[in-house]
Amino acid sequence: MSVPLLEIKDLHVQVEGKEILKGISLRVEKGQVHALMGPNGSGKSTLSNTLMGHPKYQVTQGQILYRGENLAGLKTDARARAGIFLAFQYPTSIPGVSVANFLRTAMKARFGEAFQPKEFRKTFKAAMAELGIDEGFATRYVNDGFSGGEKKRHEILQMKLLKPELAILDETDSGLDIDALRTVAEGINHLRGPELGILLITHYQRILNYVQPEAVHVLINGQIIRSGGKDLAHELEAKGYAPYEVLKEPPKEIVSK
Amino acid sequence: MDSVSPPLLVKWEIPSPEIIQAGVILTDLDSALRQFPQMIEEYLFQTGTPEGFPKFVALHQALWKQGLFCYVPDGVRVELPLRASTQIVSGAGAVFPHTLIVVGQGAEVTLIDERYSQGNGSSDAVVSDEMVEIFLKPGANLRYVHPQQWAPSVTELFTQRVLLDRDAQFFNVMVTLGGRLTKGNVETVLSGTGCRSELLGILFGSGSQHFDFHTLQDHQAKATFSDLLYKSALKDTAKAIYTGLIRIRKEAQKSDAYQANRNLLLSQGAQADSIPILEIEADDVRCTHGVAVGPIDPEQEFYLMSRGLPSTEAQRLIVEGFFEQVFKRIPLDSLREQLMAEVTNRLSSVHPSTSSG
Repeated sequence: MSVPLLEIKDLHVQVEGKEILKGISLRVEKGQVHALMGPNGSGKSTLSNTLMGHPKYQVTQGQILYRGENLAGLKTDARARAGIFLAFQYPTSIPGVSVANFLRTAMKARFGEAFQPKEFRKTFKAAMAELGIDEGFATRYVNDGFSGGEKKRHEILQMKLLKPELAILDETDSGLDIDALRTVAEGINHLRGPELGILLITHYQRILNYVQPEAVHVLINGQIIRSGGKDLAHELEAKGYAPYEVLKEPPKEIVSK
Repeated sequence: MDSVSPPLLVKWEIPSPEIIQAGVILTDLDSALRQFPQMIEEYLFQTGTPEGFPKFVALHQALWKQGLFCYVPDGVRVELPLRASTQIVSGAGAVFPHTLIVVGQGAEVTLIDERYSQGNGSSDAVVSDEMVEIFLKPGANLRYVHPQQWAPSVTELFTQRVLLDRDAQFFNVMVTLGGRLTKGNVETVLSGTGCRSELLGILFGSGSQHFDFHTLQDHQAKATFSDLLYKSALKDTAKAIYTGLIRIRKEAQKSDAYQANRNLLLSQGAQADSIPILEIEADDVRCTHGVAVGPIDPEQEFYLMSRGLPSTEAQRLIVEGFFEQVFKRIPLDSLREQLMAEVTNRLSSVHPSTSSG
């Protein structure tokens, strides 16, 4: 049996002393798209930040294995260079740093010796054209004054250029109108392939009309309470998360009132 | 003073002979005194008494020696930037350079005026007590870029006083990277109706560098405009204190004045204080000021690291971005790149001891 691309085993994560993820297990194989669905506050962004090694998120129990290797000792930048990519839900702006400069630096970090600066301009222009991004984008400052759609397209552009092996897309569909959603979904489909595993984190079923997942998982209150095929997403769309949320333990303070 | 004065070298460069034919003068102050004594007498120490650091100004007035003279006659527009530099060559002691710039009515010029020490590692203790005086005649337009990269053993006392006449325009970029201690005072007197001034500053401090900067935007006439932005990035135990005064006098109705000071602290031991002061005597003006002091935003760093950049590389990019807003206004590509490279170099290097006995 081959080693899975990503294997999460009984993962518990705390943020500022509060446990958010309460024992998650998940396997993503190369070439697969897994959708992770859940309502607000279920722990979706905690999982994506933890996978990327954000210092604020503390793993208290369990393991994350990437290509069989435990990520515990690897810092964010090392994870990225190893091929993990996070498309942010709310990409932060970096005033004064141009998109071109940022991407050139990032590609140099990711590909090391193999990065060819002379090829950059061509590769960069071609990638922008494919995603329908205006060339003027290159000289704008990273995410500074970008519209919601521009931010998401910029994330997909980075994913395209950095060629990850594992991409975590954190609510990349949120806040997009139907045209922008379609462009972003096309971008994702275009990047799908036998070498890339995708964890598509979303609140809504909408994007799954465009990006067909191999598996769907439902995250409620820090636990995956159900996994299934793509039909599960349609069921969630019809019934909502409410039937699952009753499984939540009621917070004790409220009960005592 | 001669026995204790380290040699000071003043250099200048006029990019084309036509500029000289048009009557532009750019030369060292000693030569100018011999060749144009009446002109020097008319302007030297005539911008008025600076309000800041009176003792250093008095000392400079008593002992001034060497410097630069730049004169652009009425109506002459110089397209190419003029360049000059004042260099400390070697030895310990005190220097008192004086820079005098006169831009005539409707004339226009860019002057890049650098300060540096030869053999930057020199540990000779030097005090530089210098003064820059600038006269802008009606409708004159000056872009004055002042990059300072003194050796770490230099103590800098710096005064700049600018007098703007009617409709004159002054654009200033101060880049302060060197020295162990800088006490800087930049006074801009907007004395003619409709004159405008844009004042940009960059400070980068490492080791135990200390900057104490004062600025004055003195609006004395109607419908005058000034906009100031000073940015500092500080690492190790470097410290910056900024005191900025905007004064709008009763006669200066319909004036606009802006002031912003932003500080990026790159280590726990770095420190920045910012003191804005407003003195508004007119009632029909627009005036704002803003201050920010803080470390690198951890979310910015995380974002860049999530793209494979090591922490140091991420910080470098953030600092470059922080300065970009000012650097992009430097009107000479090669100088801008050289200064940015110098900031990057200072950012990554472990600073040598700045104590000089």
